[in-house]
Amino acid sequence: MIEPKDFISVLEEKFQFITGVPCSYFKEMLIYLSEQEDKISLKHVLATREDEAVGIASGVVFSGKRALVYMQNSGFANIGDALTSLTELYKLPMLFLISYRGLESDRGFPEHSIMGEVTEPILKAYNIPYLVLTKENWKEDMTKAIEMMEEKSSAIAVLIKNGVLSK
Amino acid sequence: MKGFDVITALKELISENVIIVSSNGNISREVFNLLPQPQVYLRGSMGLPVPIGLGLALANPDKQILVITGDGNFLMGFNSSVTTAFYKPKNLKILILDNNKYFTTGGQETVSSALDFGSFLNSLNIGYSESKQAKKEKVKNNLIEFLKSKSFSILHLQIDSGKLQLENIPWQPKEITQRIVERLTK
Repeated sequence: MIEPKDFISVLEEKFQFITGVPCSYFKEMLIYLSEQEDKISLKHVLATREDEAVGIASGVVFSGKRALVYMQNSGFANIGDALTSLTELYKLPMLFLISYRGLESDRGFPEHSIMGEVTEPILKAYNIPYLVLTKENWKEDMTKAIEMMEEKSSAIAVLIKNGVLSK
Repeated sequence: MKGFDVITALKELISENVIIVSSNGNISREVFNLLPQPQVYLRGSMGLPVPIGLGLALANPDKQILVITGDGNFLMGFNSSVTTAFYKPKNLKILILDNNKYFTTGGQETVSSALDFGSFLNSLNIGYSESKQAKKEKVKNNLIEFLKSKSFSILHLQIDSGKLQLENIPWQPKEITQRIVERLTK
């Protein structure tokens, strides 16, 4: 697992806000964000739905600042219109941390199976560039995602598998 | 009163410090044509003007953010009234223009008449919330009271349907982004 402290400190260099809807794959990171709320510069905003979180992040980006949105891939299915008529239409640079549910370790959770199969095809269909975060080279992965976000002025998805940001 | 009458009445009441988020459809066209530019003119993302306003309010504590939305749009993002009430940003104001219709798409009925807005907004326990019929002789005072409030505020105005013949917003969405980022970062 990537240590939440290390991961958040990298995010803090670029982003002022983080918002989203939880996944157990992000549990340790979210505990850290909550416990260290007063000590870190990244402001955490709770959201009720993933499209709401994309809206909050868009308000941040309209201000010339940067925001991350975290969500399950199940919740990615809730943001289609926010992608096509907001972030991509208005050219808003934004980073999505999306848990990649429905793979081998989720065999006991059939509710994630279908989304797990279609996650990458859907990202491609929406023209959202993405990469899969690795434990070994996560800093390079994040640098690449952030560079792509600025270069394309677009939303970029970072897919996060089980055990990468959680125990 | 119609929605564009209320938006016209805002013209002399909003200062340089106010950033407007206008919801997709007639409201964005009216805000673009009747009020100072540039503002955050939404063309789509139905249901999201309130969270966009929340993000702007949190990222710009020195600015006043005014979201103008219709009843259909507000109801689509109804959850965001709770999220904003959780944070209660002092610099966020939400104006709901309620004609009980999806007016931009042809006047189809919404379900807004089932909601007692006064009771609902009161239950959010924010600093200022009112639900009123928009009346010509009173609306200016209603808006002044709403805009001068020092807390997170929601004003729900019941309006009549009606629109002006206005041109579509000529700016491309990415140009709207460039202009608003410039306005907020200069």
